[in-house]
Amino acid sequence: MSYSGVIPTARSRAMVREARHLLFTVAPGATWIVIFLVLPSAYLMAVAFMTNGPYGLPEMPLSLESFRRLAGFGFLGWSPGNLYTLLRSLWQTLVSTGLVVLVAYPIAYYISTCRAKWRPIMLLLVVVPSWTNQVIRTFGWMNLLAPGTPLSSLAESLGLIAPNMGLYPSNFAVTLGLVYNFLPFMVLPLYAAFEKLDTAQVEAAQDLYASPLRAFWHAVFPQTLPGLLAGIVLVAIPAFGMYVIPELLGGGKGMMLGNLVANQFSGGANWPLGAAGAILMLIATFVGLFAMRRIGKRLGGGEEVVI
Amino acid sequence: MRKRTLKRGLTAFWWLTLAFLYLPLAVVVLFSFNASNSAANFTDVSLRWYYRLLGNEEILSAFANSMVLAIVSSVVALVVGCLIGYGMYRHRHRKLGWLIVLIYLPIVLPDIVFGISEMAFFVQVHRLTGFLQPGLSTMIIAHVTFQIPFVALIVYSRFVGLDPTLFEAAKDLYATPIKRVVHFMLPTIKPALISAFFLSFTLSVDDFVISFFTAGPESATLPIYIWGAIKKGVSPEINAIATLMIGAVAVAAIVSLMFSRRRQA
Repeated sequence: MSYSGVIPTARSRAMVREARHLLFTVAPGATWIVIFLVLPSAYLMAVAFMTNGPYGLPEMPLSLESFRRLAGFGFLGWSPGNLYTLLRSLWQTLVSTGLVVLVAYPIAYYISTCRAKWRPIMLLLVVVPSWTNQVIRTFGWMNLLAPGTPLSSLAESLGLIAPNMGLYPSNFAVTLGLVYNFLPFMVLPLYAAFEKLDTAQVEAAQDLYASPLRAFWHAVFPQTLPGLLAGIVLVAIPAFGMYVIPELLGGGKGMMLGNLVANQFSGGANWPLGAAGAILMLIATFVGLFAMRRIGKRLGGGEEVVI
Repeated sequence: MRKRTLKRGLTAFWWLTLAFLYLPLAVVVLFSFNASNSAANFTDVSLRWYYRLLGNEEILSAFANSMVLAIVSSVVALVVGCLIGYGMYRHRHRKLGWLIVLIYLPIVLPDIVFGISEMAFFVQVHRLTGFLQPGLSTMIIAHVTFQIPFVALIVYSRFVGLDPTLFEAAKDLYATPIKRVVHFMLPTIKPALISAFFLSFTLSVDDFVISFFTAGPESATLPIYIWGAIKKGVSPEINAIATLMIGAVAVAAIVSLMFSRRRQA
């Protein structure tokens, strides 16, 4: 007969001690996140399936009413307003992410070709504006694009905008604000990819008389792909849920999903509708993260596409 | 030849991008010294908007709120996050996937979803129990929630970078657990703790969306005050307070550059 089940052996004592150690170190933080983030998000998701009460607060019974509202079906029949907002969010995300890539790619390459002693300063110069508050940065753009400013007058004389309209509020201003806001998020991962670029591959391509374009496409671009994917995740996901920039630079016709959601919790007061929009945003986030992981893994750079 | 043209083109593009990045900030700084309250014409240099700031009690209390919020939340997040970071390291051979998911959740959740779920939760808890009235305390809770992951990950990566035999050495020298913490662990992870604290502090001061949705009527922070002022119609005082905040960031940038220089030397 063995007594190991009754009398604690050194091994089982150590296991208990380890388990207690895990509990003491991890439990406070894990509990905090569960109570103050997991529970609230779960509640929000539940709200999306409730009915809108008279004061904008959610009530029983359960229904899919909020999703119908999100798709545009209201008391007065179908209206495309919400769908336009959704499409605009998608469009703004695509355009601004594309533009950010176009600007960040050469910049990241350029920094990696400069002298090693300058590189940290150059990176810092790119990042520092994003340390200032988002509201202030956006306010700076409001000052720059308002009617009567040099930029607006220039656009006016080129016939790009109607006289005295100014460049903001407009969808263009929102795109500009998004590009401005997210540029550093793309430069940093791309720079990391360029910094450890294997130049032997480029030389091999040149030795084989590849044209510069082909050398770039086959020897450089694949090596920077993990950085590019990480950058796209870091830009596209927060851009899709952006609230501040469209609110300040977009006006009524520049609204994005984030504004639609937020409005339901303040002035609009329809929590279930707002929660339904939030669920859509969450789905987009997780689909985006999942897709990037899959693509990253297939390219063999899966380890690096971690945020 | 072709290579040099490319390099020249890239250099020009670099300076253009820098101009793009700094133009909006430069405009704010410039117009904070404008004598008139026009946002389009610069007339004369004056400090009148800065004098106005000193007399504006709302701004001063918003500043105080921002500081209290940032310091208290960073301290709490430092303690809780540091514990998780150590736990993750010590038990890294176990299956802790659920913990990783939990820690990444605040990072990947869109700000707006984070903010409104906290707000909805606090409002309902307050309605049912009377606790957690929206105000500074709810803001602190929300900020700690998004700071914990960053602290935990910084502390964890510092531990991973250490030589594992150091822990054995400390044990072999019969150091008690408390002595091991005070004389070995805390001193070794001190750089990680300092950078985690400053990152938490910066994240807190920089945050607008989550603060905005969890704030009460009396607990406006600087970004919330500025937001309100912009929405009400632009007052040139915003340029002055924004310039001061940009100045603080510039100082932080120079300090961080000096630190990284010293580390290299």
